[in-house]
Amino acid sequence: MKKLINLNYSFTFLLVALFLVSCSKDSTPEVIEEQELITTVTLEITAANQPTQSIRWKVDETNNNTVSLKANTDYEVSIGFLDESDPGDVEDITEEVREEADEHQVFYEFSNVSVSYSSSDTDTLDGDGNPVFIKSIWNASTTGSGIIRAYLIHEPTTKNSSTRAGFGGETDVEIDIPITVIE
Amino acid sequence: MRHHFLQFFILLLLIVGSPQLYSQFCDFTLKGNVFDLHDNTPIFSALVTIEGTTFLSQTDELGNYKIQGLCPGIYTLLIKHPKCKSLKRKINFRSNKEINFELEHHINELEEIIISDSKLEVINSSVKESRLNTDQITQFSSRSLTDAINTFSGVSVLKTGSAIAKPLIHGMFGSRVGIVANGIRLRDQEWGSDHSPNIDLNAFENVQVVKGSAALKYGGDTAGGIIVLSPYKLFLKDSLFGQTVLNGATNGRGGGITSKIMKSTSNGYYFKGQLSAKRFGDLSTPEYVLSNTGMKEFNFSFKIGRSKVLRGWEFNYSRYQNEAGILRAAHIGNVQDLFNALQSEFPLRINPFTYGVESPKQQGVHQNIQFSYFKILKNKAKWEWNYNYQVNQRKEFDVRRGLRSEIPAIDLKLQTQSLTGNYSWKKTFDWNFDWGINGLLEDNFSNPNTGIKRLIPDYLKYELGSYFLGTYKPNNNFSWDWGVRLDAIYLEAQKYYKTSDWIDRGYDRQYPEFEMKNLGTQILTNPQARFFNFAAHTGFSSRIGPSIETSMSYVLSQRAPNASELFSDGLHHSLASIEYGNLRLQKETTHKILTSISKSAMAYRFSIEPYVSYTDNYIYIAPVGLEQTIRGAFPVWQYEVTDALLWGIDANLDFKFSDQFNLDINASYIHAEDLKNNLPLINIPPLNSSQSIKYTSPKKRYDIELVNHFVAKQNRFSDFNFTVNILQDGAIVKQIVDVSTPPEAYHNLDVLFSMYLGKVNQSKTILRFMFYNITQTNYRDYLNRMRFYANEIGFNAQVQLVLKY
Repeated sequence: MKKLINLNYSFTFLLVALFLVSCSKDSTPEVIEEQELITTVTLEITAANQPTQSIRWKVDETNNNTVSLKANTDYEVSIGFLDESDPGDVEDITEEVREEADEHQVFYEFSNVSVSYSSSDTDTLDGDGNPVFIKSIWNASTTGSGIIRAYLIHEPTTKNSSTRAGFGGETDVEIDIPITVIE
Repeated sequence: MRHHFLQFFILLLLIVGSPQLYSQFCDFTLKGNVFDLHDNTPIFSALVTIEGTTFLSQTDELGNYKIQGLCPGIYTLLIKHPKCKSLKRKINFRSNKEINFELEHHINELEEIIISDSKLEVINSSVKESRLNTDQITQFSSRSLTDAINTFSGVSVLKTGSAIAKPLIHGMFGSRVGIVANGIRLRDQEWGSDHSPNIDLNAFENVQVVKGSAALKYGGDTAGGIIVLSPYKLFLKDSLFGQTVLNGATNGRGGGITSKIMKSTSNGYYFKGQLSAKRFGDLSTPEYVLSNTGMKEFNFSFKIGRSKVLRGWEFNYSRYQNEAGILRAAHIGNVQDLFNALQSEFPLRINPFTYGVESPKQQGVHQNIQFSYFKILKNKAKWEWNYNYQVNQRKEFDVRRGLRSEIPAIDLKLQTQSLTGNYSWKKTFDWNFDWGINGLLEDNFSNPNTGIKRLIPDYLKYELGSYFLGTYKPNNNFSWDWGVRLDAIYLEAQKYYKTSDWIDRGYDRQYPEFEMKNLGTQILTNPQARFFNFAAHTGFSSRIGPSIETSMSYVLSQRAPNASELFSDGLHHSLASIEYGNLRLQKETTHKILTSISKSAMAYRFSIEPYVSYTDNYIYIAPVGLEQTIRGAFPVWQYEVTDALLWGIDANLDFKFSDQFNLDINASYIHAEDLKNNLPLINIPPLNSSQSIKYTSPKKRYDIELVNHFVAKQNRFSDFNFTVNILQDGAIVKQIVDVSTPPEAYHNLDVLFSMYLGKVNQSKTILRFMFYNITQTNYRDYLNRMRFYANEIGFNAQVQLVLKY
């Protein structure tokens, strides 16, 4: 029986030792600033003889800026992606999208209004010469109000499609912005 | 009487013989002790002689021997005792020397202990267990532990594709199922449904599955069940044997090799080394390639030990390393992508076959170091000590922008140290007791270099547990067992919350003491939780008449929420959902009653095992709302509690038509209900059954087995569907994303053919041809998370060569 007790003592001792070793961990974990976050989408809309419109859509904010277009007028629309999670260090993700033009695609869909768009002369092209639509020319044909749905697609399975499903790939951005088209 | 004569004779020799024969250079002394190999007690009256001379000495009560007047030289010593095996040892003798010898008792004296120790112990006599033997393990050598135990009724598989699979016992998985290897609980990142246990089946020779938490020795928190993997026990005899298994399979165009060698010696030392490697490329369904589903695995282990029957030690090291691809098409960006994937009959990304694995993928390395010691005391009580250190590293890679796909999105390192002591003893022959204590320390580190917020935070966990178990077995027809276990758990995490989340969930008011540092958008907190868990078990098994056996047992188990349930915080790419832990969770308590009745006769054996369990505070994940993100609205799933009722039946029938034909039918059914919301629980296996018919040739030269698996449609499920607004032809259309409806029922047919080459009944070489899904059935499985994207794998032909030596 004495041996048994001895063993118990040694066990307790080992346990205590084990726990003491462990208690040395006191460092606080590092803060992680998320790297590939997109928090903000901007649309810069310009046309000859029209005031420039700057639309900002930011996550966690109320976004009710409306785009307003004149029918049958060409507008140049420049889309931008920002990481504003750290207000002191705003990152322009658009640059990254341009650099990886092969793996990215900007795509727009419209509801209730009819807007056609094409690549602008200043647009970025991918390795095969396909436009990424970072800069595009819009032209609205019907009047009314509806929604612009802007997408940034990562690794699309094809670069030529007219529907979101057709492009495949993963959606990195999908936001809705109200639009009105006037005469 | 004879000994005395011998002693006298030796004395006479020593006195009379030595001075005459040797000169003054020859006055060196050889002395030492002779011990018993098994218990280190001195051996009295062993004879130590030098071959070719007349020198000899007999040991006294303390085992001492002494030979004086020796010249330098090379001698062969012979140590003898009538009750022991003789020992011969060559020595180079230069000057006075002390040498100790260990003699081994003739093995028959220890036979009783050896036999009782070498038998595979029944883990719990009142709960029926299922077992896999070496042969069955070999059959699954190129697959996984989970696949192997899926053959038991009541055990299913929760999968993410084919390579990532975890066991589901009685409708429960993860922390509710314990895996015990070499007597130690496996400590890996068991929390997610998409993690397979980091263990190599090939390192073990026996697998036992105990349903329900009736193995209190290993923990009181596994309401689902426990899987115990154990190696062969090697005993004091000179032996060297091993096995090599070669596998090749058409689906995935890969294969594997596993090899092991075991050596034991008569002085108690033993060694075992094992390694296995496997590699597969993309798997295929009958119609298409499942892109990025390749995998590779490399494992090795060794152990060295010495067993002297009455005491022994063992050192064990094992390393497991795997990389598994996740179906590329399952990596999606948002809810609309998920909707599109569900609409499509085919995965949205199908590439040509390749062996390469890209993101998304998982990598795991699990290392285990173990040291154990046992000692059998005079009263046949046994002490066992086990120290164990496990390191589990897990990396998960997502498809990311930039070159970040190479940086893991999840990078965790879990280190666990544990110390276990077990004291078992018998009181008279009928009563067996076990008492044990277990201390554990766990440290999880989440590497911040991922650039993505931690899914699981850094934490420390301490556990201290103790159990007391007893078995009363007055005869072979009845046994009663019981056990209690207490565990104290303390968990301390350091976690950054998004400040808005911390406030939205009311944690700032409920847990202000956890707040450490407010960094504006993020807040560092130090959540702490304490749990005291109680587990108990009692049950009996009894034989009624010559052929009927019944058992019944009650198990109470308590489980503390795991780190994932408390803290998880992240995006699930294959389900387009955000998952949140819940700091308010309390321990869950499960009451389970298991019964079994079986009847065996000459031609058949059948058993049915009904069970019912009720869990108070059952932790589960459920959709709680939507969260607006830059990728649109995402469904948010959060860990919640309810009361759960699960009941089910496992049944088995084994029918022997003749020595040649055998029919085996397994079936199981589970009914699981969320009692608070009156809804069925998610991820519960549907009714399933397997039927096999086996023909064995008259001289057992070969056998052929036809197996049909049937899985019904799960008709009991909760509707967790949600809607998504899709733009179609210039108009917004509301569409339902159906993530709830289970797939249709299916049949799956396999054919297994084994040839036993060489001597009848002692075959050293086995050749197997195994054909799976021979009808090329296209189907999806409810328990596979990839079911939203692709079918299960199609036809697979596998060749296996087993070489024993």
